Amino acid sequence: MAGIYVHIPFCKRKCKYCDFVSLAGVHDYSAYAAALISEIRLYKPLVEGRIFDTIFIGGGTPSLLPIELVCAIVDELRSCFDIVKSPEFTIEANPESLTFEKLNVYRNLGINRLSIGLQSGDDDVLRAIGRIHDKAAFINAFDAARAAGFNNINVDLMHGLPGQSTSSYLDSIRLACKLECEHISSYSLILEEHTQLYSDVINGKITLPDEDTAAEMEDSGFMLMNEFGYMRYEISNFSKPGYECKHNLNYWDNGEYLGLGLNAHSAMHFSNRWVRWANEASLSSYIIKAANGKLPVETTEEIDRDEEMFETIMVGLRKTAGISRRSFVERFGIDPVEHYASAISEAILDGFMEVSDDYIRLSNRGLDFQNEVLLKFM
Amino acid sequence: MAFPRELIRNFCIIAHIDHGKSTLADRLMELTDTVSARDMEEQLLDSMDIERERGITIKSTAVRMFYTHTDGKRYMLNLIDTPGHVDFTYEVSRALAACEGAVLIVDATQGIEAQTLANVYLALDNDLEILPVINKIDLPSADPQNAIHEIEDIIGIPAEDAPQVSAKTGLNVEQLLSRIVTDFPAPTGEIKAPLRALIFDSYYDNYKGALSYVRIVEGVVRAGDKIRFMHSGNEFEVTEVGVFTPRWKPTDELSAGEVGYISASIKSVAETKVGDTITLVDNPAPEPLQGYKHASPMVFCGIYPADGAEYENLRDALEKLILNDASISYEPETSQALGYGFRCGFLGLLHMEIAQERLEREFDLNLVTTAPSVVYRVVTMDGSEHWIDNPSNLPDPSQIERMEEPMCKAHIMTPPEYVGTIMELCQEKRGIFRDMVYLEETRVKLTYNIPLNEIIFDFFDNLKSRSRGYASFDYEIEDYVQSDLVKLDFLLNGDMCDALSTIVHRDKAYSKGRAVAEKLQEVIPRQQFEIPIQAAIGGKIIARETVRALRKDVLAKCYGGDITRKKKLLEKQKEGKKRMRQIGSVELPSEAFMSVLRIN
Repeated sequence: MAGIYVHIPFCKRKCKYCDFVSLAGVHDYSAYAAALISEIRLYKPLVEGRIFDTIFIGGGTPSLLPIELVCAIVDELRSCFDIVKSPEFTIEANPESLTFEKLNVYRNLGINRLSIGLQSGDDDVLRAIGRIHDKAAFINAFDAARAAGFNNINVDLMHGLPGQSTSSYLDSIRLACKLECEHISSYSLILEEHTQLYSDVINGKITLPDEDTAAEMEDSGFMLMNEFGYMRYEISNFSKPGYECKHNLNYWDNGEYLGLGLNAHSAMHFSNRWVRWANEASLSSYIIKAANGKLPVETTEEIDRDEEMFETIMVGLRKTAGISRRSFVERFGIDPVEHYASAISEAILDGFMEVSDDYIRLSNRGLDFQNEVLLKFM
Repeated sequence: MAFPRELIRNFCIIAHIDHGKSTLADRLMELTDTVSARDMEEQLLDSMDIERERGITIKSTAVRMFYTHTDGKRYMLNLIDTPGHVDFTYEVSRALAACEGAVLIVDATQGIEAQTLANVYLALDNDLEILPVINKIDLPSADPQNAIHEIEDIIGIPAEDAPQVSAKTGLNVEQLLSRIVTDFPAPTGEIKAPLRALIFDSYYDNYKGALSYVRIVEGVVRAGDKIRFMHSGNEFEVTEVGVFTPRWKPTDELSAGEVGYISASIKSVAETKVGDTITLVDNPAPEPLQGYKHASPMVFCGIYPADGAEYENLRDALEKLILNDASISYEPETSQALGYGFRCGFLGLLHMEIAQERLEREFDLNLVTTAPSVVYRVVTMDGSEHWIDNPSNLPDPSQIERMEEPMCKAHIMTPPEYVGTIMELCQEKRGIFRDMVYLEETRVKLTYNIPLNEIIFDFFDNLKSRSRGYASFDYEIEDYVQSDLVKLDFLLNGDMCDALSTIVHRDKAYSKGRAVAEKLQEVIPRQQFEIPIQAAIGGKIIARETVRALRKDVLAKCYGGDITRKKKLLEKQKEGKKRMRQIGSVELPSEAFMSVLRIN
């Protein structure tokens, strides 16, 4: 089984912390959708025989895209690719761009999971990071989604944000939990170079909570989600039982996925080689290539077996359930406990890892120090 | 045929950093068609990368130019480019001794600056004629009148008719050439006398071996001559003599008054020491030229490869480096913290920094260096004497009868308004006041005895910041004096780190211990456990800081598009870890070892 990711790179305004390929301002959405559709057609013969069980339309802000364009893209996906009957089908949305009508169309298209970018329930914090919605808009959007029949909703949260206190973060969690969303992703802020926030911090215009405060926030927040019945199944992801995001789990199993759209990334086996590729990051190059019937790929990378194994460890240990020893053996013909014997025994001694007959996984403390563990595997 | 002596002019240029010395030299070469504009690489004389980047001159170089004066005669102008830093004072003095005149550049926008003065006085000591030049007059903020006034006031030489030039645009540089001819005396020196050639620098070439850069004071030298270095006694046969165009160009002979190079299949620059006198074996001069000094290293530090496997490469690099710089010394040493490396000696701090930078850059090495140390004289209870340049080798305190440290005589020149703050600084640095003289209304000369140990750390930086760059400073080592010195150690998570130990005066130990512990606390990255940092004198803890435990080390986000990027991040982290030094359970970054040095 494989996943499909569709990237919609447009935003009304770029958030201050964002280093994704997202474009604010006026763009020709139809030209972009046409390019996407032509890209989908180009892949049809290349991925024949693969069955897709998840679709994820992410961004950017996919909910910005006019509804008829979304329909056209989804129709094309279904007509070109072998997709299971009821895939997990997610679309990302920001609160301000969701209407009941739009949500209804999404439902009719078979989209059954909604991921809403709340980030914080604190209007002051939202302003500080350049979001254009407020708490009230989020609640309206959430209610509208429920009314439209979405029964699998993720809420994105962040901590370690400028002006955010632990209690503000905990209040955001409570807001999401009390609405009984099915899934919460909660990321600590990553200050990336080339972002507005980065230069604001460097220039002293904005101060961030220090490392210890951010860690404090995270620990108490994760505990609170646990109390509300959300289980941590990945370093930054929580869900009610049975509502783990299948599409993302596929990434963490180092599975195959096809990324479509601007700067989208893909990974697949081709005649026993593990290949990663990435699409053009420039909108015009992407559109020109796709419109001219060329795969809009910018870089391709063949991953050798050792690297593929390490990748599998790197992403697999993000899951609290860890890596199944049996599936690892099935994929690589060797037991990870044997292949990484010294790294694993060191990590066990450090209290970072747990190993059973079925799995290798990180301990709770190990989840806080995943990088340290991975360095041992390199 | 010897070039007529009366048509030769040997001169150097004295200038503060950034006042346009190299640019002016470039213009002179261009105007005299020494180098065609097409071949002109900016700042031709500073050929080392580091020299260009830092805008400083480290090695002396020279260039021969020809200029036809308004009197119709063709003159030979030899420009010797000299270093300009206190570490190289001796080299500068020899280069100046090779000249009759010095062009003093003063920036019309800045006026006279402190560091220039030390070299002006050095030039006056060598009886050089000084020709002031006002530069950068093309800039809107130029104030030539003020510059003239300052030259007359502070240095006390007339400057009313100083050429006002723009080295950048070339404006009036022609006029300067003419003044070089009219203002500077021709060299004297008898051609018929026995050869005496002053070595003002040397250079190692892969094909020719070590070249002596010389000023022929008296006599003549030709290829085939047997020569003797009068101080070292070494004898060689000359294979080639030549001049600087600025590239080497062989000539038939070099005769009294000329500047050039002598090549004699000399294996290393250590055999052609700056300041030595070259004479002929068959017809030797009775006396060498005055002013020879053996330049011995004053400042020592440990240099280690960041990656232990690079030890051999470091040794090869050092061997090559000293081929061209005889003033560096090195010998193998080992440290518990850093493994195998070398104890290296340098003329001063800048010299040390430059050598490190060249090793890293020209030989592609990653280095860890320890805090610099001077050489202490230690007398133990059994009456024996030890010279200690590495704190780790200090005998047990119970065995030490007494310790002595090198004491300098420091001369500081400053405008009077900074005298107070500079005296404070000297006192902080354990200086003993000797003398204060008003050289003129706007310039005071302070003389202090200051331990070298205090000078090598941050004295010069402090002096500059306290005097806004106006004070200049020069020192010489006088003698060794008894002092109450202790070894200051640092413990990380309970383990002693030998590479951080320093020898300090007892009165300074507490404040220094505290300051270094604080600095270490800043530079040591947080690890999974809390790390106590302790400063200790002979087992007694005098300061403590703590690096708090790291709470998290994890990538918050990792989806399909991130995998390649995150892998790279991890690789970087792994690389960083490789460069860390393990002291017991603690990982220490390279810069921690220099933190002992860089404290305020």
